[in-house]
Parts: sequence; structure tokens; C-alpha cells
Amino acid sequence: MSAPYIELHARSAFSFLQGASLPEEYADVAAKLELPAMALLDRDGFYGSPRFFSSMKKQGLRGHTGTELLCTDGSRYPLIAKNRKGYQNLCRLLTRTKLRTEKHPKPGREAAARPEEIAEFADGLVCLTGDGDGPLARAIRRGKGRECLDFLLRTFGRGNVYAELQRHHDRDEEARNQAVISLARSLRIPLVATNGVCHTQPARRQVLDVFTCLHHKVKLAEAGRLLTKNAERHLKSGAEMSRLFADYPEAIANTLEVSAQLGFELSDLGYEFPHYPVPYGQTEMEYLRDRTRESARMRYQSGYKRARPQIERELDIIDKLNLAGYFLIVWDIVNFCRDEGILVQGRGSAANSAVCYSLGITAVDPIGMELLFERFLSEERGEWPDIDLDLPSGEKRERVIQYVYKRYGKLGAAMTANVITYRGRSAAREVGKVMGFETETLDRLSGLIPMWGWQDPDDTAKKQFAEAGLDLNHPRVRKFLELVEGIQDMPRHLGQHSGGMVICQGQLDSVVPLEPASMPDRVVVQWDKEDCADLGLIKVDLLGLGMMAVLEESLVLIRQHYKRELDLGQLPPDDPETYKALRNADTIGMFQVESRAQQATLPRMKPTTFYDLVVQVAIIRPGPIVGKMMHPYLARRQGKEAPDCLHPCLEPVLRRTLGVPLFQEQLLRIAMVAASFTGGEAEELRRAMGFKRSQERMKTIEVRLREGMTRNGITGATQDTIVQSITAFALYGFPESHAASFALLAYASAFLKVHFLAAFTCALLNNQPMGFYHPAVLIKDAQHHGLRVLPIDVTKSEWDCTLENLSDASRHDTSKDLRLGLRYVKGLRAESAEALLAQREIAPFADIDDLARRVPELHKDEISRMAAAGALNPLNAEHRRDALWKASRAAQYSGPLLVEVPENDPAAPLRPMTVEERLDADYRGTGVNIGLHPMAHRRAEMDALGVTPAAALAGIPSGKPVRIAGCVIVRQRPGTAKGIVFLSVEDETGIANVVVMPDLFDENRLTIIGNRWLLIEGPIQNVDNVVHVRAMRFEPLGYALAAAASHDFH
Amino acid sequence: MYACIHAEGNPLLLVECARHFSPRIEETSPDTVLFDVRGLGSLIGEPQAIAQAIANRAGIPVSIALSIDPDAAVIAARGIRGITVIPPGGEAAVLAPLPLNLLSGSPETAELLDAWGIRTLGELAALPPLGVAARLGNEGAHLQQLAQGNAGRQIRPLEDALRFEEEMELEHPVDLLEPLSFLLSRILGDLCARLAFHALSADEIRLTLILENAAPHRCALRLPVPMRDVKTLLKLLQLELSARPPGAPILKIRIELNPVKPRTQQHGLFLALAPEPAKLEVTLSRLSNLLGRENVGTPELLDTHRPDSFRMNRFAATNARHAEDAPANEALVLRRYRPPRHAQVRLQNEIPVHIATGSLQGKVLAHAGPWRSSGDWWQTEPWDHAEWDIALADGALYRIHEDLRTGRWFLEGSYD
Repeated sequence: MSAPYIELHARSAFSFLQGASLPEEYADVAAKLELPAMALLDRDGFYGSPRFFSSMKKQGLRGHTGTELLCTDGSRYPLIAKNRKGYQNLCRLLTRTKLRTEKHPKPGREAAARPEEIAEFADGLVCLTGDGDGPLARAIRRGKGRECLDFLLRTFGRGNVYAELQRHHDRDEEARNQAVISLARSLRIPLVATNGVCHTQPARRQVLDVFTCLHHKVKLAEAGRLLTKNAERHLKSGAEMSRLFADYPEAIANTLEVSAQLGFELSDLGYEFPHYPVPYGQTEMEYLRDRTRESARMRYQSGYKRARPQIERELDIIDKLNLAGYFLIVWDIVNFCRDEGILVQGRGSAANSAVCYSLGITAVDPIGMELLFERFLSEERGEWPDIDLDLPSGEKRERVIQYVYKRYGKLGAAMTANVITYRGRSAAREVGKVMGFETETLDRLSGLIPMWGWQDPDDTAKKQFAEAGLDLNHPRVRKFLELVEGIQDMPRHLGQHSGGMVICQGQLDSVVPLEPASMPDRVVVQWDKEDCADLGLIKVDLLGLGMMAVLEESLVLIRQHYKRELDLGQLPPDDPETYKALRNADTIGMFQVESRAQQATLPRMKPTTFYDLVVQVAIIRPGPIVGKMMHPYLARRQGKEAPDCLHPCLEPVLRRTLGVPLFQEQLLRIAMVAASFTGGEAEELRRAMGFKRSQERMKTIEVRLREGMTRNGITGATQDTIVQSITAFALYGFPESHAASFALLAYASAFLKVHFLAAFTCALLNNQPMGFYHPAVLIKDAQHHGLRVLPIDVTKSEWDCTLENLSDASRHDTSKDLRLGLRYVKGLRAESAEALLAQREIAPFADIDDLARRVPELHKDEISRMAAAGALNPLNAEHRRDALWKASRAAQYSGPLLVEVPENDPAAPLRPMTVEERLDADYRGTGVNIGLHPMAHRRAEMDALGVTPAAALAGIPSGKPVRIAGCVIVRQRPGTAKGIVFLSVEDETGIANVVVMPDLFDENRLTIIGNRWLLIEGPIQNVDNVVHVRAMRFEPLGYALAAAASHDFH
Repeated sequence: MYACIHAEGNPLLLVECARHFSPRIEETSPDTVLFDVRGLGSLIGEPQAIAQAIANRAGIPVSIALSIDPDAAVIAARGIRGITVIPPGGEAAVLAPLPLNLLSGSPETAELLDAWGIRTLGELAALPPLGVAARLGNEGAHLQQLAQGNAGRQIRPLEDALRFEEEMELEHPVDLLEPLSFLLSRILGDLCARLAFHALSADEIRLTLILENAAPHRCALRLPVPMRDVKTLLKLLQLELSARPPGAPILKIRIELNPVKPRTQQHGLFLALAPEPAKLEVTLSRLSNLLGRENVGTPELLDTHRPDSFRMNRFAATNARHAEDAPANEALVLRRYRPPRHAQVRLQNEIPVHIATGSLQGKVLAHAGPWRSSGDWWQTEPWDHAEWDIALADGALYRIHEDLRTGRWFLEGSYD
């Protein structure tokens, strides 16, 4: 047993560049050093406290919570929460200082508390006098030590102030210690020893030095005395600390005394989820039961009787877990969306709940789809449920977020944080910078660290260093590599989670400190979503989904232009045309099924029902692909292999996926059916097997699983197969409920594309960037389907793309033309366009001069850009160049006297653009082209070269060599394809898919990446109507023509 | 009539070639030289013959253009290979097919002209001049004049750069400093007189001595302030040569002065005068000769935790009041031994109890420490020290340290 000592002053890497070890590492080392407890005092917050608390708890140790608070006088007060009151005081004080400071304050303007504020919030706190940055050290330097201690005693009360001694083998520090001891003795203040810990091990001091440089934006060689003097600020054992303070044993003994006083634990936050206001005399649960039954009758109609037992069962569990308020609050948000006409759909495991479906939170009927409620909520788990709401991205989602703020108050709701950590590329770049490596070397190195999908297993940091020309035999380079690895996954700064919101009954700022977010009118808590979940804070995820915005806008356009009122919940469920398009992989622009991999599977899958679509959404995922589920499923689906459900008892579970487990729910059911697990136990199994799998937990559960199966008579090889399939699959499974929610959106998008192409394309173009394809590809695809796309026209276009009535009544279906909006003029600002539209509303523009005169907000280059894009042609310009000529004059301010003077020679002196020039101007000026595809103009040349158009590839037998040519619109190297690269090459007839083997890609890397226009040779591969060209040779076409940006490496 | 030669890579050759034909030469750019060839008709003949003569003289493949408009000649030489003779009035026609990038307009104008589809000088020339001026302003109008071959500017003839260098070849080799000084004084006198004539001073002297049967002896002295005082410059050279004398008799002397504008400085009325720069420089040179260059100057503490880290800066007199800069109440002052002395230290329980070093040895009566410092861990020479303050029987306090990387002990100094 080590001598008793408790470290009361430590900073973790969550002090952001001012500490060099993670809270979990402290817990591990504290356990090894046999410290019974430890306090984590990160700077100005509790960023690392949840992780510290839970990891200390796992080690059976006590984790105390505190902070190093910055005061306006520049000193840092080490404060530790004694009780919940003290913790809440610190939260509120930190929130107050943070919220009055900018998100990224300049040096010297950081959030800081005034001394009188510290006094105001001092109750329940223990104050140490601090190290060199502490209030006492600063006061001693100014000869005011006694006054400082008097202030601390007055503020925190005798018994709550300890004179802190640290010994890092430093002369100056020891001189200060002697001054502190003398003052403390004269005022009868107890001494306490700490080590002002910044890292776990002495070797970590180097990481701390690198962080110091990053913090101060200097190089190591220039940092001088900003760096630490030695490596003594590591966590030390009781024996070591006792040896250091052998002359002041009471300072060591007092650490135990302080720790004994600290009754507060982070699990005791006092957090309460807000109460939902219910009518007088009713409880929340009664109100929820009433609302659920009422809506369930409407939702299920004749099926209500069948659904009722499940709904009642769910309501009982909700009652037992006291979650009625939570469901009501989510329901309230959904109602707000509905009232405001904002499309909303719950996703995630909530879609397993019939209550959520009844309340309109989710759109998938879990009873009809036999989904498993336990995946969402179970009595055993005792966890808060997770409801994610998908909202249209952009302004509407912001409105919902602001509604939540308004409803629960600025200090009652906040976004969850997202901890940004150092990763391969950022770690290498920043460490390289502070070590003084040249920018070119670092650029080269960054270029070698892949950001995308597939990573060669041999592609280690060492290899990347060597390839970047860094000699690993050189000690400096070795140190560089060591440090890059050393700062991996260390927190860098705090970001904001995209949609997670924490809501609280009363003051959230008493539960966790709040900070301003980068976006105006938003506040963010200091913890990420896992921390919030661990500490029992309920969050609601309000996620922005581009496709929701597209669907919503499509419905509005359909209402306006087709006079049809569509309800996404009431779309015809088995529309044959929609399924035909899906089977033909004609899915560009559709949600979740548009990627190249999806398109390559759809013709084999041949979906005919909604459930096929659910499977389709789930199967093209890393899980099923890596878990080798995809090919058996497709083989069985095509009848090439017989379905095998492992055991007859699993037939009901696996039948619908032909014996291949695809969904997490199936995993749970397998455990429930085969081993008689309860729903909660099955969920525990899933978690044990999940990403953070622990060998020990897995072993325990596997034993239970096998015991259960043996009891049920499943033994031997079958038992092994089931265990194996669960183990292999658990890592990757996709929740069926989630797939179903996504499949609904996929179906809706497919339906709208097939039946309302103009409206759907218009909405897609107005909500870019989103999805898999560039707008240029979306437009070409829509044109192939017969949509007429009209150019940007300053006399007709709005900011957004719009629909216009059919100019050619002979065309069927879509019967609308799509007019490109001004938003597609690159470089045109929304506010200029707004001014332009306002003027156009007053009176049409007579000519370009008139436009320039009446809309002074338009910059010179904005007028030119519109002219180059052809948008000004209708203003008396003969052609684009004429418009450019006129625009150049109009944009020159000639003074009030000459403003009305017409041009002497109004004839257009410039020649019109050639077709190629126009294409180039389109791609450069708008990113899209509505005319003929560039390859159409080169078809004769291509024919002479023996190039096959994309549309003709399907008719060519497998194995025959072909030549194709066109514009590369997608380059992909998915993580699941072992280095194979997929290219999509577009010509005027459609898109050809090309497969490039890793070796060939390495040989032709520069040609493939450096050229947009390529000629590719290789044999055709046609399997089940999925056509690929297996590339053997590449040749750049050498066109200088601009092209739409490609979508690379997902 | 103006001629322009354009060739990549050898600007000196182009100027040299042009000098053969004309005194009025403009180095338009490193690869283009323009010169006045008016009057050469009577000497050489027709413009074509002049152009041919220039080509022959150049001796390397060059493009040559002759025109009465200087810019037209430059553009044609840059845009057309071989020889081009532009007849008066034919400028626009000759330039018309040439690409627009031969004109150096601003990037914005170039971008706009490109958007207009203007690709050749002829297309630009053909645009309505008023229209161009209204859209592109003066720059556009000028570019259009260039494209039309009628910009009509004057050429900017080259001027010889001022050089201050003198050489003296000696009849007999000199191997003593005194006669050499006499010669140096003469050369410096001439050079300084020329500097004075141009109201210039020198901030660097470069001396080259060609030696008998040995490699040339070279030295360069940077002067703290520009000066042209012969005596001072001579003294500095003498000091330098006496510190580092040439290794063989001298055959030839060459002195080069770097001319700069003299510095004028007005001193404050109530400020103490700093030593005269020339005298100060001579004194510092003398001290450097005596003590070594690295030991003369102003010490500056370095921003590092590494003990005893400082560097010597070049001495510069300032008016700072040093007394105020000193630490106010240092209790003890350390008198450092540079370099620190090796010591034998005996330890007991990891604490020094006895020390022996050269003249000093004895039992450690009291100690404080260890004080640890380490750093430069990213360098090839990091340090890791543990210092102790010890009291010996002689009544004095000393600082010792152990180099933790080598385990060796040193006596660093004694406290006053």
C-alpha cells in the first residue's frame, strides 16, 4: 500500500492544449499508483469531468470535480466542488463568464470572473491558493499575500481555503512555497500538497510542450521559457509525494482531509427533464395515454385492435420508466413542426415504437413491420431513449431549434458539444509546424495521409513519412513521428454537434456550463452527446436532412403547379412505375439509393415491395459488405442459393431476409428466440458486441448465450454457427427501424422523381449541395427523362429554380419546364439578387444600362458574371458577348451627368461565343450546362476513334473490349472494396461505370486524378444487367474545357 | 527606327550586341532589348540589311523586329520568330494576328478581354476606341494603341551603374604591411574622393590581394555606419590584415567599396554623445584582435530554461540606463565559472556529501536541491541537469550540477 495521498490539482487534455493526458489515462494511472481519489480541475470548465468521473468509478476510485477558474486579475483559482450547491455555483459562474465573452476571444479577453462574482458563487466550494498562476502567488509577487489570503478566507470561509504547496524541483517555486508557508502559519490556514499535474507520465511532457507551442502559435525552437522547465508535473504516488514533502507531512495528510470534505459526485447533478404542462387533475402519464390512444385510433384505423396490446405494453414500460414527459416533449416539437408546415420524421430506434408511430413522431408502422420495441426501450437497461428527428436542413431546422430555446429558455436548453480531436492529417501538420519542418514537406505528408474511404493496411504513418521524403533514421523525424502518434485523439477544441439538444427543467446552466456556439443565438453545453447520455441528460436530436427539404419543397411546388395535394404518408405504396425505375437503377437524385454501389445492386435486387427497399437501404453499408452478408443475400434473392435460417426456430426471425441476418433487431430476436434472452438482455448482448467491445463482457455473454441455446436444444455445430454469425455481424448491423425510416424517404423521393420530375428536380437543385451527384449531373439526368431546362434569365428567373408552364403542350407527364434560378450564377450574392428582384417587381428592366442603374447593389463583376452566363441576353443583347460588352459599360460609373448618355455606336462589336466557348462559360459561370453535352459535339471524332456511347454498353456482350470516353463525374475508392476504384464517366447518352483495379490505379493515378475528360479502354462486364467497363488503359482527352466538379472518394 | 532583339536566357549578350549598333539601349526585360537604329541606314543600308547585321552580330538564334514604333518592335520581336521589318504604317497589319497575351495588361483586364472573346491584337485593335475607353479606361485605351502599333513612346536608355573599385598591379611583390598600407591608402583615397563626388559613403570594403604562388587573399569588412573617411577605412584594413595576414607576397591589390547613401543623424541636445562610430569601430576591431571576435560585444540572455545561455551581440552604444535594468533585490549573485569545472562528488542517499575539484574540496555542510531543468528534447543536444546549492567549510556557498545524461558533476560557480 502506497502512502496515503490524494492528488487535488490536475489538468487533462480537456484544458485544450494546456494538459497532455486524457481523463481516462489519469484514472488508469491513479489506480496503478493506488491513489484512492483524485480531483480533475480543467481550465474554465468541466469538459473532461464526465469521462474522468466514469473512468474513476470503473476503477473503484473517487473522482472529484473542480476547475481552474480564470479571474479578471489574470490569476487562476483552483476551485473544487464540495457539494451539489458548489458544483451548481461553478456551472452558473462559468456560464455567466462564457456567455458574455466571444466564442473565440482574443488573447487577454478570455472569459474571466470578477473577484466579486467569485464571492457571489463561493458557497459549497473549496479553494486552493494555486500554483505560480494562482491568486496567492500573484499577490506575493506584489507584496500583498496577506490581503489575498484575507480575501480568500472572507470569500470561501475558514476551513474551505488551503494553502497550496507544489514542488517541481524549482528554486523560484520553493522560494514562493516558503512565503506561502509563513503567511499560512500566521493566518492559521492549513497547508495542502498538490503536484499541479498536467500529464500522467514524465514522457508526456513533450506532448505538453507541443501543445504549449500550438496554444501560443510558436515553434518549439522559439518557445523559450513558455515551455515547462522539467518533466515533474506528472501524476506521482503517495510515497513520492510524501518524500517530497517530508518536511511538511501535514500538507500530505491534509489532502485526505480535503477529499473527505468533497461529498459531491457528478452522478448527482440534480438534472430533471422538463415537465410537460398537462390539464389540471391529470398526470403526464395519463395525458400521454389519452393522446396516444386517441392518435393510434386515427393512425391504425381498422388495425387499432391488433396494435392495441403492443401500444398498451409500451405505455406501461414508459410509465414504469417515468418517461411520459419525454415523449410529450418530443410530441410537442413534432406538433410545432406540423403547425408550421415543417416536414418532420423520427428515425433511429424510435421507429420501433408503436407509441412514437401513433403520436406521429415516426412514420414507420412498427407493428406492420414487426419491429422490435426492445431495441428502443427496455426496462432492464434503465437508459434514456433516443429519438432523432429528421428535419429539412437550413432555415426550417433552425426555426425548430429556436422554438426549443424559446420554449425552455436560453438557459434551459442547449446544443450538445462535439469534441474535435487531433487526427492523422491535423496531427502531422500541426506537430510538423511546431517542430519547424518545411511547409512543402508537410503538404506532401498531408497528401499521403488518406482522408477518404479505403486505407491500405500497409499504409502506416511510418510508410507515409518515408514516402513524404522524411528519413526515419533521423532522430528529429523519429521524434516527429512519435509526437504525431502521441497526440492522436487528443482533444483540440470544442465544436457543436449538428443536432443534439439537451433540455432541462429549470436551469440547465446549473447542470453543466453553457458556452456561446459559433452560430448566433445558440448556446452549447461543455459535454458531447456520450457524456450527456452517461450522466443521464436527455437529448433530442434535431438533424438536418437535405432530402427532407427537397421533399417538402417538392410538395409545395406540386401544390402550386400541378394543383395536387400530396401527403407523403399517403403515397401509393406499390407504385409500379416507381419500382420499375428502382429496378432499372434509374435512381440519380433519389435518397439513399443513388450511389454507384446502390445502382450496381438494384438490378440484382429487383425491388418490388417496400420491404425490399428497406433491405436495399441497409445492405449497401460497410457492415453487410464487410460481414459478407451482401452476396449470400443477393444469391438467395436471385434464387441461385437456397435460404437457410440456421435453425427452424429462427425461421420467423430470418425468413424475410432469406436467412441472412441484416438488421440489429434480428440479432436481438435470435438471442431471444434461440437462447431465451429477454429484450433487455438481448440489447446488452448487442452493446457488448458493438464497437467498444470488451473481451471480458463478450465472454460472459457468450457463455450465457450458449447456455440458453443448450437449454433450448440448440447444440453442436448449429450453436457454433449462430454464435459466429452473431459475433461477426454485431459490429456492423444496421437497425431495421432506421432502414425503414430511410426507405420511406427513399420511396417518396423515387415516387416524386418518377411522377413529378420537374418539381423534384427543381427542389433538388434548390437544396444543393446534397446527395451524391453534382447539379450538372442531375440536370443531364432530368433532361434524359424529358425535362426541359430553361436558362437563367434575368427577366424571368427567381433566386431559386422555378417551374414554368409547358411551352410545348405535346409533352406528357412532367408537363412543366424548369427555369434555372439566379442562385446558379457563381459569384452573385443573394442580397444583390434580392435587390434585383425587388426592382423587377416594380418594373421590368428596359436594358442592361437600366438594370445597372436601378440595382446599384450589383457589383461590376456580378453583372459581368450574369452576362457571361447568358442571363442578360433577354435585355436587348444579341448574344452573351454583346451582353458582356454592354454590361462592361453599364457597370462603369460615369457620373450623374453622363449616366443617361447612350453609346455612340450601339452595334455589337464582339463576335458571338462558339459552342465550345458557351459550354465553357456555362460550366465556369454556373457549374451546369443545359445545352447539349460536350461529348455530343465530339461524337463524330469519337466515332472515328471507335468509342462506344454509354447508353450502348448494355447491349454489348460480356468480355468484349470497348472504348468509352467522357467526363469523370465520380471517383470513388470505398473502404469496403479493398482498394478498387470506381469511376462514373458521363457522355451525352448517359453514365458508364468503370472499375479500376488497385495496381492499375497506382500506375495511372495522375492521369485518373488529374484529368476530367478521359478515354478508357477495357472489356465489358455485364452481370445481371449491371454493366461495368473493367479499365485496362487510360488516355486523357486533353480538352481544356471546364467541366462540372466531380464527386471524389467517398 | 527602332530595333528589338528578343531571345531567351542571355540578357548580357543581347545588350552587348545592341551596344555594337547604338548607344541608346533599353533593357525592356531580361529577354528583350530595344535600341535606336536611326542613322544606321547610311552605314549599313536598308532596314532588312540592318536587321540581318544585328542577327549576324548576335550569333545565336534571336528574333529581331524593326519598326518606327518602339512598342510595335518589341511586340513583333516577341511574337514573330526570325526577322520582321515593319514598314511605317504597316504596324497594325503586322501585329494583328499576334496573340493578346503579348500585351501586359492587368489580370482583370486580361480576364475581361478573354470573356469578350478577344484573342488577337487585331481583334483588340478593331474594337471601337471610344467603347474600349468607356469600358477599360486608360489602360484599355493604351492596350489598344499598343495593339494598333501607334503607342509612340520614348525609349528608356540604360545608364551605367556606379562602381567603386580600383585595382593596382605591383611591379615588385610586397610582403610587408607598411608599404602595403601606403598603397592601400592611395587606392582608398581615390575611391573615397569619388564617393564624395557622388555624395555617397561605403558600408562595406572588399579587399582582394593576388598573391605569389598562393590562392588570392580576400576579406570583407562590413561597416557599422556608412563612412568615407580614408584614415578609418585604412586603419580597419590594417587591423584586419595584421590579425589575418596574407600568406605570400602580394602581386596585385583590388579594393571594392559598396556605395550607399550616407547616414545623417541629429543628436539630442541633452543626451550624452556616443563615441564616434568610426573610432568605436576601430576600438572594437582592436579588442576583437586581442580577445577573439566571439568574446567582444554585448551579452544577451537567451529565452530558455537552459542554464547560462546567452549570446554575444555586436556592440552598439545606446543611451539606456543600465542600472535600472538590473534586478532590484537579488539576494545572492552567482559568480559563474566559464566553462564550469569538473568535480568529483560523493553522494549519500542521493545527496552530495563531499566535493573535490581542482583547488577546492571539502565536506558539504548544508545543501538545497536538487533543482531540475531539462529541455531541447527535440534537438540532437538536449540537456537534463540537477543543480544543488551547497555550503562548504570555507564558509562559501557554491552551485554544482549533475549532467543527468552523462552522470558527470560540475562546479558551476560560487555565490557572492
